[in-house]
Amino acid sequence: MTDFDNKLLDILSRVFRIDQGEITDNLKRKDFEPWDSMAHLMLISEIENEFEIFFEDEEVVDIWTVGDLKKILNQKMSP
Amino acid sequence: MNEILESVRKDPSYLSLWSAYKKIQDLDLKAPEDDTNTVRLAVIGSTTLEPLAACVDIKTRLEGFHVETFVGGFNTYRQEILNKSSDLYKVKRDVIILSIDAWSILDKMFLSNFVRMSEKDRQATQKELVEDILSIVSNLESTTSALVLVNNLVVPVFTPLGVVDNKQKIGLRRFFEGANILLAEKLEKNSRIFLVDLDAVAGAFGKTRITNWNTWYRGSIPFSDEFTPILADEYVRYIRAMKGRTKKCIVVDLDNTLWGGIIGEDGIEGIKLGNTSPGIEYVEFQRSLLSLYNRGIILAVCSKNNPDDALRVFREHPSQVLKEDHFAAMRINWQNKAANIEELAKEINIGLDSMVFLDDNPVERAQVSQVHPEILVVDMPKNPRLYREMIESLNVFDVLSITSEDIARGEMYVGKRKRTELERSATSIEDFLRTLDLKVRIKEVSDFDTPRVVQLIGKTNQFNLTTRRYSDVEVSNYRKSSDAAVYSMTVHDKFGDEGVVGVAIVKKKGGDWWIDSLLMSCRVIGRSVETAFLAKIVADARKAKATRIIGEYVPTKKNPPAADLYERHGFGMPTTSDAGVTSWILNLDEQTIDVPEWIELIEE
Repeated sequence: MTDFDNKLLDILSRVFRIDQGEITDNLKRKDFEPWDSMAHLMLISEIENEFEIFFEDEEVVDIWTVGDLKKILNQKMSP
Repeated sequence: MNEILESVRKDPSYLSLWSAYKKIQDLDLKAPEDDTNTVRLAVIGSTTLEPLAACVDIKTRLEGFHVETFVGGFNTYRQEILNKSSDLYKVKRDVIILSIDAWSILDKMFLSNFVRMSEKDRQATQKELVEDILSIVSNLESTTSALVLVNNLVVPVFTPLGVVDNKQKIGLRRFFEGANILLAEKLEKNSRIFLVDLDAVAGAFGKTRITNWNTWYRGSIPFSDEFTPILADEYVRYIRAMKGRTKKCIVVDLDNTLWGGIIGEDGIEGIKLGNTSPGIEYVEFQRSLLSLYNRGIILAVCSKNNPDDALRVFREHPSQVLKEDHFAAMRINWQNKAANIEELAKEINIGLDSMVFLDDNPVERAQVSQVHPEILVVDMPKNPRLYREMIESLNVFDVLSITSEDIARGEMYVGKRKRTELERSATSIEDFLRTLDLKVRIKEVSDFDTPRVVQLIGKTNQFNLTTRRYSDVEVSNYRKSSDAAVYSMTVHDKFGDEGVVGVAIVKKKGGDWWIDSLLMSCRVIGRSVETAFLAKIVADARKAKATRIIGEYVPTKKNPPAADLYERHGFGMPTTSDAGVTSWILNLDEQTIDVPEWIELIEE
C-alpha cells in the first residue's frame, strides 16, 4: 500500500469510526449510518487539508461510495 | 471509553476529537451516580456547532468529567430558548454555550452599506445588536440555572474604510469594539452569564485563520479545524473553574528557574538576574508570578540548595522581585523533591492536586510526577526566555469570581507562618489558641458575601462534611426559603483577617434542623472555630424551638479531616444509609455546644 492509501484509510476509519479492514470500495453513503451529512463534510475537508486539493460542490455531492471518492481523488492527484 | 480518551491524548487533532466524540456518543454511557462529576452541556447558536460541541465535550472528559452534550440545530437557538419543551430543557443544564455570530444578526447588506450609514444609524444598529444578544442571554438566565457562556464579537480585519477606519467616530472596527464594551459592561455584575472573549482568543490565534471558507460555505461551520480545539480550550476554562478544578499553588525551583545559574557555584554576583539579557527573562518571569500571587495564587519554594545561599538572593539581590514574604512555605534542602512537596502541601494545607510544579530539571520533574501524578508538573521550555510565556498561557488558575479573600491570600499565609511559629513555642494547644485573640463572626449570608460563599461551596474539599456543590442560584434559593438558612463565618485573629472562611446550610423540618452542608476553608483548621460555628447553629435552633440537630457526613477521598466533627461535639446515634451518608443526632433537650472560651463570637 502506498503512503497515499494509508492516509486515506486512516481518515476514512476515523471519520466513520470503523476498522480500516472494514472499509471497501463498495461502502455506500446511503446504507451506512455513520456517513451522514456532517461526516461527509468532515471527510471532504480532512481530505482537502491532508492532500492540499480542493473539491467543487458538484464533486462533493457526487461522491456516493468509497470507490467514487478514490476515483475522483486519483483524477485530482495525477499530474 | 478510556481507550478512546487515551487516543485523543496521543493525538489531540480536530479529527481525533470529533471521532472520539462520535464513538462515545455511540456507546450511550450512563451517567455516574456521583453528580459532582457530571457536566450537562448544551451548545446552541446561529451556525453548525457540532464540531465545537464535540471538542468541548471531549476536552471536558479529558479533565475527568462525565459529559452529556446537547447540540442545537442550525440557527434554531431562538426557538430552542423560547420553547420550554425543546430538547434544550430536557435535562437541567449545567453549562450553556451560546455561540453567536454577529453577521447572522446584522442585516445582510450591513457590510456593503456601512460606509453610507450615518453616524446615528451606526450607533442605533450597534445598540440594537447588543440589546438583541442581551435579551437572548437574559432569557436563558431566567429559564435555566446553567452557567451561560456567550461570546463577544470578532472585530473584523477587513474594513471598507481602510487605514482611516478609526478617523470616523464609529468606523467598522469601532462598531464591533464598542459593541463588545457594551456587552461587557452590561454583564459585568452578572454571576451566571459570562462573556467569552472570542475576539481575544481569535486574535491570539490569528483572525485570518479562524474560518475555513470551504467548510463555512458548504456547511456553515464557523471555525476552522485548527481553531475549533483552541476555542474549546477557552470554554473548558470556565467549566473547570465552575467545578472547582482550580490550581491554587505554584511550587518553584530556584536555580535556573527563578534565576539563571546555580547560586551555590556562581555566587550572588554570578547568577543571571538583572535588567539586561541574560537575566531580564528571569526578572520578567518573576513579575508574572508576582501578578498571580497578587491575585491569590499561593507560592512555595522547593529547591536543592544550602538554605543560607539561596535565602541570601531573596534578601540581598537588588533585582530579585519575589521576596521571602511572598512564599507561604519553603523547602530548601537536599531531600528528594517529591517528599518535600508532600511536606509543603501539608504545611500550606492544600491538596496535592491543587499544586503546579515548575522546575527546569526534567529528572526532578519526572520524579515528582511519578510519585504524585495528581500534581500538574509543567513541561518547562529549555529556553528561559519562554518561561514567562509558559506561565502566562498555562490557564489553570481560573475562578469565576475574584473575591477580596483572593486578593489578600498572600498576606494571610504570612500570618499563617507566624501562627505556626507561635504554636511551636506554646506549651499547650489551648494556650496557643488563647494568645491568638480569635474573633468569629457568624451570620446569615448577605448579598455581599454570596459570591465568596458560592466560591467556598464550589472548591472546599477537605473540611467539608457533605461536599454538596451548589450553584449561585441554588444558594440564593436557600437564602430566600423560610425552611432553610445559609450561614457564613468570618475569622479574625491578631495576625490578620481571614475573611469569609466557613459556610453552613441548614434545612429546617419541623423540630429537626438538618445540617445539609458545613464546610470550612483549610486555612482555619485547628483553631476550634468549627465549635463556635456549631454553637451558633445550636443557639439559633433553640431560639426557633427546634429539638434536634441532625448532621450529615458523606465520606470522600479528601474529607477525612472532617470525619469526626459530629462525634467530637457530642452528636450520637449515627446511622448510615445505603448511599454512604452517615447522620448524627444532637438532642437539644439533653445536650448543647458552647463557644470555646478563647473565641469571641460576634453576632448580628
